[in-house]
Amino acid sequence: MNRVGLQYLAGDLSGGNARCIAMLQAFQEAIRDYSTPPEKTLTRDLTSKIGGFVSFLIECRPLSMSMGNAIRFLKSRIARLPLTLSESEAKTTLCSDIDRFINEKIVLADKVILRHAATKIRDGDVLLTYGSSCVVEMILLYAHELGKQFRVVVVDSHPMLEGQKLLRRLVVKGLSCTYTQLNAISYVMHKVTRVFLGASSIFSNGTVYSTVGTASVAMVAHAFRVPVLVCCEAYKFHERVQLDSICFNELGDPDAISKVPGRVDVNYLDNLTDKQKENLELLNLKYDATPSDYISVIVTDYGMIPPTSVPVIVRGYRKEYLLI
Amino acid sequence: MWWRSASFILDRQQHQNRTVAPSPESFLLSSPPPMADSPLNPKSNISAYYQTRAAHHAVVTSDWLAQAQAAVGRHSDDDGSLGDDKGAAPIGGGGGGGEEEGSGKAFSVIDEFNSWRKQPALAEAVAAIRALAAVIRTSEATTMMELEIELKKASDSLKSWDTTSISLTAGCDLFMLYVTRTSALEYEDFNSAKSRLIERAEKFGEISCKARRIIAMLSQDFIFDGCTILVHGFSRVVLEVLKTAAENKKHFRVLCTGRPDRTGLRFSNELAKLDVPVKLLIDSAVAYTMDEVDVVLFGADGVVESGGIINMMGTFQIALVAHSMNKPVYVAAESYKFARHYPLDQKDMSPARRPIDFGVPIPSKVEVETSARDYTPPQYLTLLFTDLGVLTPSVISDELIQLYL
Repeated sequence: MNRVGLQYLAGDLSGGNARCIAMLQAFQEAIRDYSTPPEKTLTRDLTSKIGGFVSFLIECRPLSMSMGNAIRFLKSRIARLPLTLSESEAKTTLCSDIDRFINEKIVLADKVILRHAATKIRDGDVLLTYGSSCVVEMILLYAHELGKQFRVVVVDSHPMLEGQKLLRRLVVKGLSCTYTQLNAISYVMHKVTRVFLGASSIFSNGTVYSTVGTASVAMVAHAFRVPVLVCCEAYKFHERVQLDSICFNELGDPDAISKVPGRVDVNYLDNLTDKQKENLELLNLKYDATPSDYISVIVTDYGMIPPTSVPVIVRGYRKEYLLI
Repeated sequence: MWWRSASFILDRQQHQNRTVAPSPESFLLSSPPPMADSPLNPKSNISAYYQTRAAHHAVVTSDWLAQAQAAVGRHSDDDGSLGDDKGAAPIGGGGGGGEEEGSGKAFSVIDEFNSWRKQPALAEAVAAIRALAAVIRTSEATTMMELEIELKKASDSLKSWDTTSISLTAGCDLFMLYVTRTSALEYEDFNSAKSRLIERAEKFGEISCKARRIIAMLSQDFIFDGCTILVHGFSRVVLEVLKTAAENKKHFRVLCTGRPDRTGLRFSNELAKLDVPVKLLIDSAVAYTMDEVDVVLFGADGVVESGGIINMMGTFQIALVAHSMNKPVYVAAESYKFARHYPLDQKDMSPARRPIDFGVPIPSKVEVETSARDYTPPQYLTLLFTDLGVLTPSVISDELIQLYL
């Protein structure tokens, strides 16, 4: 658990799916090592222990939506354990439930998304993606394996520069890529035929909550009438409705945006007096919200749905997964 | 196809070179349907669906229909199992004109389908549904698994007869789902389960037949006295809607478009028989006359998951003009036309070609755009009239999710 928390803190582990899987596997270990203290029931004590772990993780880095959903699933499974089970049986049941969750909701869901999204890639396409989403990377590599001929434009932004990781993995596999920064997006967009984006979560009104900068990409694509495909597993859907990016967000390290990596001469903000610094606020937001009008289709493991159908999935199928 | 590049000449050459040696993976892309496989449909590159409609519209008038119905009524083999048809849609739905008695061993679903299809007022998908119901009835399977496999095979052969027809594919899929989705199947013995399946199949066939009447009734509220309606091409559903309105003594005017396959002409012919004032337009005159229009009414070849429709070429154009001039656009479509496609743009569908006759021979170096249909995105549609009710475009996906998942 400590290891996972430190990984979050250091930023080694990023991306909704990776963080969620790491957290669930850490929970599995914790459950296996757990033993009920005398005079306490398994369900209540384990739930409070899990709560303790979650607070620790939140200290390291605020939870993503997918992690929140996974924790809710775990707590409901614990609460639903029949009281007649012995401790070891309960522990094995929980561990296998977690395994099933990871397998069905993430691994298999990704496979289904790959198949659907690959049908939308044609020969001669120019595909644009922003930042580094594991699902989009899988889609691009899968389409490449199928033999489709297409080019990729990877758009990136400071300070995280996540696109470079994606770029490296694509170039190594032999895809022809172009790399550019977010400020050049309207220059590049007229050549693009499809935009593929990942999402951290999708809200009930169809708003896509994703890495900061995604909304700009989607809006520019919409202005150029390029279809925007958001690829997201269904377990990341959330009942919440968010109208803008500010009301719920995560702050990153403010110093990261006052410096440009590799350019020590860009140090205009270094020698400010404390009095001057009072006037300055460095805002490093991690997420932003893209309104549903700019999204053409959401590709999930339930198929390709329009953004207006997200509440249908949330309403109809969230109960199903809570009852796995 | 011109991609977003000025070097379309180079691209086209590359495209031609590539299509010479097709790669096996390209089956996932929109490639022309493999017409050579089905001997029943020898004409390649031409969409059979649009062939059929052209064939029908070349000869069909209401008088002919009445005669055909009378003729069919004389020959019907009323073996009782088709009795439910008598109460169904008044035009052409009655009679079992094609079912051969004692054809048990050599039962071909395609033959059955073709015999149903001969009635021109019957939609293709409904003919397919009836044919599949007949498959269940005449099946000699002894277990549920066998029956389902037989159904699946029949459905696949029907779908491959014309791969460009969306309503046919969707109708077959929905039939399979509707019929096999009963929870009581596990408990009963085979014969009662089979009769349950037959019951559901007949019911689905009946619903599909009656769909047009239901749609006509639902849409009456949207046609008011003194309104001007713009229609495109020849849609049998729209014809039913307007017929019902005329029977209810509503006063309205219709503007028809639909060249070059003369469907607009045929439609105006039908309306003239109902004593409805009709005006014919060329497709290019739609923007010119849009000021006078109150309501735009389309049929649909298919309704897709985004809530948009796929319909005869020219629909998107009219919808765009209507949207920019704030006129409501209504679509009348039966629910078996809901398909799980999701086109992202006009070229994202499998192509359906139709021969276009300009009246004069075309020079050999000139290309002609022969696509028969286009896609209208949901933001240009106001409401859809279906037998499930009057729906907004965003509800289509809701319905599809409930049907398929």
